[in-house]
Amino acid sequence: MNATTARLLRATWPPVVFGGALLLAWQGAVKLFDWKPYFLPTPLSIADRIQEHFPLIRAATWVSGMNALVGLLAGTVAGVVVAFALMRFRMLNELVTPLAIALNAIPIVVLVGVLSKLYPPTSEVPRRVMVMLVVYFVILVNVAKGLRQVQPTHLELLRSYAAGPFAVIRKARIPNAVPYLFTALRIAAPTAVITAFVAEYFGGQQNGIGYRITTYLRRDAALGWAFVFAAIALGLAFYLISIALESLINQQRGRGPQGEHT
Amino acid sequence: MTLEAEPAAAPLAASRPAVALTGVSKTFNPGTSRAVHALADITLDVAAGEFVTLIGPSGCGKSTLLRLIANLIEPTAGAVTLGGKSAAHARADQDYGMAFQQAGLFEWRTVVRNVELPLELKGWSRGRRRERAMEMLALVKLEDFSKHHPWQLSGGMQQRVAIARALAAAPALLLMDEPFGALDEMTREHMQSELLRICTDTGTSVLFVTHSIPEAVYLSDRVVVMSPRPGRVTGEVTTDLGEDRGVESREERRFFEKVTEVREMLRGIGGATDDELAIERMRTAGVDDR
Repeated sequence: MNATTARLLRATWPPVVFGGALLLAWQGAVKLFDWKPYFLPTPLSIADRIQEHFPLIRAATWVSGMNALVGLLAGTVAGVVVAFALMRFRMLNELVTPLAIALNAIPIVVLVGVLSKLYPPTSEVPRRVMVMLVVYFVILVNVAKGLRQVQPTHLELLRSYAAGPFAVIRKARIPNAVPYLFTALRIAAPTAVITAFVAEYFGGQQNGIGYRITTYLRRDAALGWAFVFAAIALGLAFYLISIALESLINQQRGRGPQGEHT
Repeated sequence: MTLEAEPAAAPLAASRPAVALTGVSKTFNPGTSRAVHALADITLDVAAGEFVTLIGPSGCGKSTLLRLIANLIEPTAGAVTLGGKSAAHARADQDYGMAFQQAGLFEWRTVVRNVELPLELKGWSRGRRRERAMEMLALVKLEDFSKHHPWQLSGGMQQRVAIARALAAAPALLLMDEPFGALDEMTREHMQSELLRICTDTGTSVLFVTHSIPEAVYLSDRVVVMSPRPGRVTGEVTTDLGEDRGVESREERRFFEKVTEVREMLRGIGGATDDELAIERMRTAGVDDR
């Protein structure tokens, strides 16, 4: 445990020190060149706004965060379920996979505008659906690959043990797909947050971080920046939780902390 | 006539060959332009407790033959029986254990849980399977590594785990497809001696596929030589090296004589590396369809 803490410290102090230095330089530069607050506010004034308007910022973070989280979970469930369906039915696989990949290349987030017409204006559902769709593709493509790309030797061995189709899924395909799922989650989690922000420009209530940033950057730049920092914190939180989950799973499966592959 | 009355008391399986192949042929994609005649009219017996090696140039269908016996693929013609049972029946009963060139360990399972896998599928209780798996690991001298994961072991150790796993369900027959092919020479010789010891201890019959003539001679009671395109049995060499072969056996005159005999039998057969690739592809396709 002590060694882990030491390693964590060793890994964290350089970026922390660097970030601190950057903020100092920023503060100094604004003062030195006498930049106007509407051009670039100082970090200290941003910190002031965070303190002043903390309840508002927290509420906005909560709205965007919940949209991202609900969408992420729903998209993960949907992606996993469809990946299993694709595994069982080869025909479906040939129909759906190219479509999934093609759709992934389209900026589908703009569909929020269309979805918003189907729901009451205060509904959070369209934005959550949007996050879900984006996450769903990432999860589907990766988990389907994990379920499919099982070592041929494993399949032959299981057949030699007279394993039925369900035993093959349980003993080989699912365990093989687990790391793929968590890698996909690591990719999807920050994407979910970004999608939640962007979706706010295309409809729904005007209560999330994305909307607040555009509004306040025009009126009170320091407050706008306060929301930018909230957005960064939210994105980082999602990312850190997902990489923690991934490394936890890999450690449980006996891979080294560096994620060595056999 | 009167002589036949006596063995009736002995267990049936013991009197029957571990493997009996009668007129077995295999054609992949029959009736199409991509048809490949992998095996033609193979008739071969492996007696109970016998160690038989299949040797031949690339593309002679050695691995295909092994997979037919394992019931991983079906023959186009002919009959395959294991200890008197049909191949399908024998597979359902896990009458054989299998090992490949790749150890094929499940990397998310610890060593001991890898060995337990065939027993899990047989429905053994947790306690019984752990006990048996530890016995098997002791047999391959890896009991200290039971909690390790495969990637923490060397190639030779991984292959020993694979052998322990193949033996876990106490099969009467081991089917081995170049299991030591990826190992260095030193490890390979050590593994050969270990395999012989284990098979003598457990009385397991073995059908072993290899490219290596010295390996075939050292391990086997009988070396079966095959020709390619389509694969046929072209000859046999009985080694008679005796029960307890040691390091010295590899330096005895008799050993070299047998190596020469096998080599001469193989000469003139010729190789076909392209065919091997083609058959390999068909074989994988055949397995995927299931």
